[in-house]
Amino acid sequence: MTAILRAEGLSKRFGGLKANDNVTLALEERQILGLIGPNGAGKTTCFSMLAGSIPPSAGRVFLGEQEITGLPAFRVARAGVVRTHQIVRPFANLTLMENCTVAAAQCSGRDDAGSRELAREMLQFVGLEKRRNEYPGGLTLAGRKKLEMARALSCSPKALLLDEVIAGVNPVEARDMVTLIRRIRDEKGISILMIEHVMAAVMSLCEHVVVLDAGKLIAAGAPKEIVQNPAVVEAYLGKKHA
Amino acid sequence: MKRVLPVWVRPRAVLVAGIGAAVLALLPFFHSNRYWHNQITETMLAVVAALAWNWLGGYLGQVSFGHAAMFGLGGFVAARFQASLGLPMIPAWIVAGIVAGLYALVWGHPTLRLRGPYFSIATIGVGEATRLICTYWVWLTGGSSGMSLPVQIQLKYQLYWYALALALLALAASYALRRSPLGLSLLAIKSDVDAAGDVGVSSVRLQDLVLFISGMTMGICGGFYASYYSFIEPGDMFGFSRSISFVLMGVIGGIGTIAGPAVGALIYVLLRNALLASYPQLYLGLYGLLLILVILFEPLGLTGLFLRVFHRKRPDLGVTGVAAEDSAAPATGVTPAPAEQRGAK
Repeated sequence: MTAILRAEGLSKRFGGLKANDNVTLALEERQILGLIGPNGAGKTTCFSMLAGSIPPSAGRVFLGEQEITGLPAFRVARAGVVRTHQIVRPFANLTLMENCTVAAAQCSGRDDAGSRELAREMLQFVGLEKRRNEYPGGLTLAGRKKLEMARALSCSPKALLLDEVIAGVNPVEARDMVTLIRRIRDEKGISILMIEHVMAAVMSLCEHVVVLDAGKLIAAGAPKEIVQNPAVVEAYLGKKHA
Repeated sequence: MKRVLPVWVRPRAVLVAGIGAAVLALLPFFHSNRYWHNQITETMLAVVAALAWNWLGGYLGQVSFGHAAMFGLGGFVAARFQASLGLPMIPAWIVAGIVAGLYALVWGHPTLRLRGPYFSIATIGVGEATRLICTYWVWLTGGSSGMSLPVQIQLKYQLYWYALALALLALAASYALRRSPLGLSLLAIKSDVDAAGDVGVSSVRLQDLVLFISGMTMGICGGFYASYYSFIEPGDMFGFSRSISFVLMGVIGGIGTIAGPAVGALIYVLLRNALLASYPQLYLGLYGLLLILVILFEPLGLTGLFLRVFHRKRPDLGVTGVAAEDSAAPATGVTPAPAEQRGAK
């Protein structure tokens, strides 16, 4: 297997704080890779660096063979790495359809009509097609998270970075979301790197999991091994449980 | 069937614009009232300026209080090129537009990374600095006594159709900037500049592009104004009240909407001429009052009022550019009610 997205020795300092310290990970083709860790471990910072939202202090990011380190977010998105946001950020002044059309028009290289078509397809894919002419303000949280995903998918990404899309939705919607994420990989062939706190979802979706704690990568492996790894248990629950 | 127009153009919009244009183009042949002829010309010029302001202030949500800088610069550049270099009128307008657009980029490229009120404050400074520099730049502007172009009565009459053509172009641009995927990107930037970047929108390039187009259109308006009045002076051309007038037209008509500012311009010009004749001391105060009332009660201006009245029957009028939870709200004081936008479900 070849890596779609690769981070080598990625570090980020905010003044004296090392939010990420020498993180190396690889997202393989058609893989769903989980990124977990306790609160404040630096998961979202890692995402932001991969997606170009913030430049890394050190280290390199590769998309396939192409180096994308330090490129601005819009170039990274056009190259094929697209993220969603933990706290959803829909364009409130645009309809769902327009939200996705913007992404499609900027990234997919299609013309106007093609972009709209792609946007509509993606809304249909996540199950929001019927509401395409409404504004995001009318959606539930789960709906808005789906919109974030539809919008990201409209970019035709090679790698999709999902930041806690399951956390915060009710159990029925969560099951829905798990199915949706699996379909993105199976039907669209897109590799997925996901941050998630809902372990049940991580266990059922991810073939491989990497664990961050205090900015450092402390473990990597299959989900079943990871939850028994002493270092991981210590990171979450403290020393005496390890 | 092959499409002639892009998918985002609605035939009905083209039809309405076509009929309106035809009526206005033929109107002067059916009356000989010079007063109304001039009023309409002035209004159409104001329409162009108001729309150009709205591309930046409404679509991008970057409210400029300094657009008179480009208007004035365009006016003096056009006048100077005609008076001193003997350039014909239209090429002079084009030069004026390009100079004004580039000037907008000079101050706007660095300041557009400021958002909301901070950008607005910067534009006030830019407008005033430009006014002072140009007042003392006697070679270009003739100093505070201004400069004149030869008066041509026939040309002044004909400028009506030039204004109509400019207004149509500006309306078409407004429509394209709101409806095309490119235009939607502007609204996305207004809503959330970082999230827009994450889906591939290059905010710096698009902001610069809109600023250039807006400044260029302002410059052409200034050039038109110089040809129309044959006399211009810096205090009037670069005046702060002129900058404010663009903001007023946009806000009264409906900030961020496609055609709202055009209606705002119509109201503004008519009201100003009525008020100036009878209450010259009062009129600025009345505009202030109007501004307060609009922002308090109908943040989408006349367009909002129109939607409120006709919304149930026609949910999408293609003008709902500014919606609920608008992140640019601090910049404009605009916080439209969410229910208005989503309509009857």
